[in-house]
Amino acid sequence: MKRFTMMFPILALAGLLVTIAACAQMKTLPSLPASHPEELAAGRVSCAECHEDQQKGTMKPFANFNHTTAFVKNHRFYASSDDRLCATCHKQAFCSDCHTNQVEMKPSIKYGYRPDREMPHRGDFLTIHKIEGKVDPSSCYRCHGRANNARCIACHR
Amino acid sequence: MKKLLYHLLPALLLSAMPAAALADTSVDSTTIVRFFQDGRTGSTKDFVAPATEFLTLDADKLGDGKLSVHLYGWGRVDLADKSFNNNTFDGSITYAYANYRFDQANAQIRAGRFFVNEGIVNEQVDGLSARTDLPLGFGISAFGGATVHTAHMANESTDGKGDGIIGGRLNYRYKGMLELGVSGVYESDAPHLTSPANIALENEGKFGSHRLVGGDVWFSPHRVFDIMGHTSYNTETKAVAEHSYLLNVRPISNLVLTGEFNEYHNRDMFFSSILFASMVDRLNERSRSIGGRASYEFNKFFELSGDYKHYTRDIGQADRFGGDARLTLLDKTVRAGLGYHYLRSGANFALFPAPNASGSFHEARVYAMHDTKGYFSAIDAIGYFFKQNINGRPSAWEVIGSLGYHITPALALSGDISYGQNPQFVDELKGLIRLTYNMNYASKGGSK
Repeated sequence: MKRFTMMFPILALAGLLVTIAACAQMKTLPSLPASHPEELAAGRVSCAECHEDQQKGTMKPFANFNHTTAFVKNHRFYASSDDRLCATCHKQAFCSDCHTNQVEMKPSIKYGYRPDREMPHRGDFLTIHKIEGKVDPSSCYRCHGRANNARCIACHR
Repeated sequence: MKKLLYHLLPALLLSAMPAAALADTSVDSTTIVRFFQDGRTGSTKDFVAPATEFLTLDADKLGDGKLSVHLYGWGRVDLADKSFNNNTFDGSITYAYANYRFDQANAQIRAGRFFVNEGIVNEQVDGLSARTDLPLGFGISAFGGATVHTAHMANESTDGKGDGIIGGRLNYRYKGMLELGVSGVYESDAPHLTSPANIALENEGKFGSHRLVGGDVWFSPHRVFDIMGHTSYNTETKAVAEHSYLLNVRPISNLVLTGEFNEYHNRDMFFSSILFASMVDRLNERSRSIGGRASYEFNKFFELSGDYKHYTRDIGQADRFGGDARLTLLDKTVRAGLGYHYLRSGANFALFPAPNASGSFHEARVYAMHDTKGYFSAIDAIGYFFKQNINGRPSAWEVIGSLGYHITPALALSGDISYGQNPQFVDELKGLIRLTYNMNYASKGGSK
């Protein structure tokens, strides 16, 4: 115990020095821009059209983020670690159009004039969900699992 | 609570207006009035006309230029009969937070109601969060606060969530080659349930507190391919909840090949959801899906993709395959798409499982849209064609037409009309009127 008491100030000082050094180092670390410097055209974008190198903030090639059909279908993998990059072009509301807790109407109804956004549950999904829910219940869980959507609870008691 | 929301939403907006006037601000407002009539036998609703307002406010560059405020919520009032539940009014604040962004190290602090998507963590929180990159390739983020409660479960006075939540993620990045992350979420004890069926869920160890840890990876030894994904572990059930991984291969610039592997352990994944824990019969099951997709851009105007996925569950196996085509013309003012998929699934996936039943169906979709400075229009048709009739119906299909006019560059009036037939309705005719206002007061930079 006595030895620890003697060592503590030294360890605390060392920790402080490391923290100060780390903070000083952090000033050299780049940030992603808050927003894309130029307005982008409507529709899906291809980052690699203009950017050839790696993104500084994520250190990943821009080509990874080209909005191909494959990217759109699998965007959850990218959003979980690179949402700061998403945020340079997309408002949070863009995500919350689909990913939200309490939903008033199907996103595809709100954006009936934007069929290209491929909002989920188009058409008569009420019938289809009884099959899809058995095929892959986890895909339902990702959005509806803990949201307790009133429309789910109305039938699933 | 609802009354509070109705007062809080306009109050927040009014209080934000003076500050917003000084900042880079964008306001998005969408007002939708829907009209429908439910003529089903036993229906008590003669005419329903809910009016819903969706409002988004983003005020950037406040104060020293690094502070921003973001708000998104909706409110509904029924102009005729009650449209859904027992309330004539309803509303929700999806998020409302202040964000302070530092110039270096991608550091930021956030306070209010917000979403957290970090590694295996996907939560809506009323509280605080902070994140920053650290030297030597490390990064850290943390959040804490109150959980955002949702509708109570039937026969319960709770949604099954604990009241407090904390979590975060630590990550390490090595050049442009590797990123590793560990993340976790810890929610305070789940409430005790009162209905006999739900008490049984608790006693049988099928429902409990929301506590997960996990790891995520992104690995790209060569720019031609990368692999990413995550594994989560439920510390309450002491078992893996989910593996989810994606492989991308880009042999040439216009071609993307992907492979996906997912494995879910139902009990461990659905453990903190009363709804799913009570709904899924075989909670000890491991569900698995494996599939792939090829996506090729012939040029700027045309993209073709094909996909296949195989599902394995205790109740049977299923396959889904098909393709999509996308067309973009006239400087992106015309966009169109076409898709076809077939789900081949066995008797146990049918609505009413029986030896000769089938859960298979074809899905076909086609859409086209045209935007000009003056007007915009879209048509979208989707059909499901069942291998076996459902409620005596061979299909469920719907056609939606939309037409709008830009009254000013920021203000647009549009209307949608849809018609369809499906196992629920002999005829389903719906309509809505939509007024959208999208204004961006930015001094520089692109609008988001």
